[in-house]
Amino acid sequence: MEFLPLILLSGLQVGCVYAMMALSYFVIINATGILNFAQGEWMMLSAVFGAALLTAKLPYPLAVLCAIGGATTVSLIFERLIIRPLQNRNADINTLVVALLGILVVTRYSTGLIFGREEVRLDGPLPASPIVLGDSLFVLPQTLFVYGATAGTFAALWLFLHRTTFGRSFRIAAIDPLGAQIVGVDLGKVRFAAFAIGGIIAAILAWLYGPLYAAGYLMGEAPGVKGFIALIIGGLVSPLGALTGGLLLGVFEVATAYYIGSLYSEGIAFVMLMLFLFVRPQGLIASRWREA
Amino acid sequence: MSEPLTASALLGRPAWPARRMAIWGGIVVVLGLLPVTITNGYYLTLLTNVAVTMILTLSLNFVIGRIGLFSLAHSAFLGIGAYIAAILAQRHGVSGWLTLPVAIAGSCIAAAIIGVPVLRLRGMFLAVATLAFGLFSEVFARQASDITGGAYGITGIPPLDFFGIKLRGIGMYELVLAVLLITALILENIRLSRFGRAIAAARDNEAAAAAAGIDIARTRLIGFIVSAAFAATAGWVYGFFHLTLNPYVLSLDITFVWLFIVLVGGLGSMRGVAVATVLLGIGPEMLGFASTQQVLISGVLVLIVVLLAPRGIGGLIENLEARLRRPTP
Repeated sequence: MEFLPLILLSGLQVGCVYAMMALSYFVIINATGILNFAQGEWMMLSAVFGAALLTAKLPYPLAVLCAIGGATTVSLIFERLIIRPLQNRNADINTLVVALLGILVVTRYSTGLIFGREEVRLDGPLPASPIVLGDSLFVLPQTLFVYGATAGTFAALWLFLHRTTFGRSFRIAAIDPLGAQIVGVDLGKVRFAAFAIGGIIAAILAWLYGPLYAAGYLMGEAPGVKGFIALIIGGLVSPLGALTGGLLLGVFEVATAYYIGSLYSEGIAFVMLMLFLFVRPQGLIASRWREA
Repeated sequence: MSEPLTASALLGRPAWPARRMAIWGGIVVVLGLLPVTITNGYYLTLLTNVAVTMILTLSLNFVIGRIGLFSLAHSAFLGIGAYIAAILAQRHGVSGWLTLPVAIAGSCIAAAIIGVPVLRLRGMFLAVATLAFGLFSEVFARQASDITGGAYGITGIPPLDFFGIKLRGIGMYELVLAVLLITALILENIRLSRFGRAIAAARDNEAAAAAAGIDIARTRLIGFIVSAAFAATAGWVYGFFHLTLNPYVLSLDITFVWLFIVLVGGLGSMRGVAVATVLLGIGPEMLGFASTQQVLISGVLVLIVVLLAPRGIGGLIENLEARLRRPTP
């Protein structure tokens, strides 16, 4: 039991990563109905760009901004070149899945080709010395940064979606695209903004996850899948679902790794996915107003 | 589309396409005789590899193109089959032939267990959920070293024994070809069968199919399990062809390459998928690309196909056929 606080601290940290990933999926699904698998790759791009820029001795804040901007731009270019033409000609859902997977693979492997396949260190914004809280209890400044940034992103997104007119039009666009157009919502603008916000959240995540792990072309894979599982656990109707699902999954994973064994910690995410699909397919935070 | 429409899918069984079968029969005979002229081991290995891949791509084509279920779990089913066969044959001395039914049963059980909850999802959600299973099985194969041999995998799998002859090289090539042929025949037979037509009807129009008395959830689950059986068969030949097995077979790289082959070939078109498997299986090697770049190449191809020729190579072949049949004035 003495390790419980430590497990919670580290579980919440992992959970924040999943929650951020889930949030970036959520913004796009909520506005466009598209589950963009490639979100993990925008995170990867941001981390790899950032590592390259820092090696080139760019000042830290500038490197962060450029990396986030760069990754988001790439995501928007793909939206323009591939997703939009497909949606304009009413391509069926399978074609879209194929296109999204194609985008994911092309991004991942061309990054591996251009920036190399080694994993490189990505420095965090805060010093690396741990803050001692008690006997066997300490916390890294990066962990606190992860908590803070996740909370900040969540709050900003929530306020945007629920308290601004443009944000509300996101939800209307998802529920009833035709009705939304009638009341004057510009669907093209909403979709573009949704992809941009989703891209930015993923790109910010690079600076939370990267320093804990490393920057490399394959880093988007695991968080990408876990973020999706977090979203299914939490539910698809509110950013609160993404947050709850992510944190829950993170804590469960770390607790499983500690109490049962690290072999099973990878499996727990999949088991939770299956369990929720069986028992509560609508997720923890279900809506009052949304049908199916 | 040359495929039966929903309504006709519910009527009688279409005849076997005799002319097409004759052409395919000819191709298979030629392929079977190829080793007489090809004595170079490298080309033989390449050809065998393509044939092994084709068993899996045909099974993927069945689950995605026919049933309309976007599964990324099939390399996991292949891996389960391959690992079961390898472990039984290498560690417990079970005859290689007897491991086939066990491998198939193992994969089918796995498909049934994950199929029941996961098939509730559709489209993109199903794709990521099955991807999660693929990811999990790769991690499992890497980390459960007691069972799977970890990252090094299993080496020294004894080759199959055919009445005293150890199947390697040409012998293995002929066996893979035979398995491929049987797979194609069974899949074609399923397509024409009542069950196959029910699957197609459920894919094209769920409401109409349900109204015609098709139990959609059950049909889809059975289809999913059947396709897992073929994936396991592909895994079984894979293991006895390479005689070593490691977690790379479960990696997402491989999953994506196989999936993209099916998509470049054209969903639901067996001919297109066969052609694409040969092109993408041999092409990059012949052009001198490293196998690591194969994923990227297939990804780029898939984006081109999606934007410019959504029905893939199969669609192109059909257009060509239509043009040959009715010359435009």
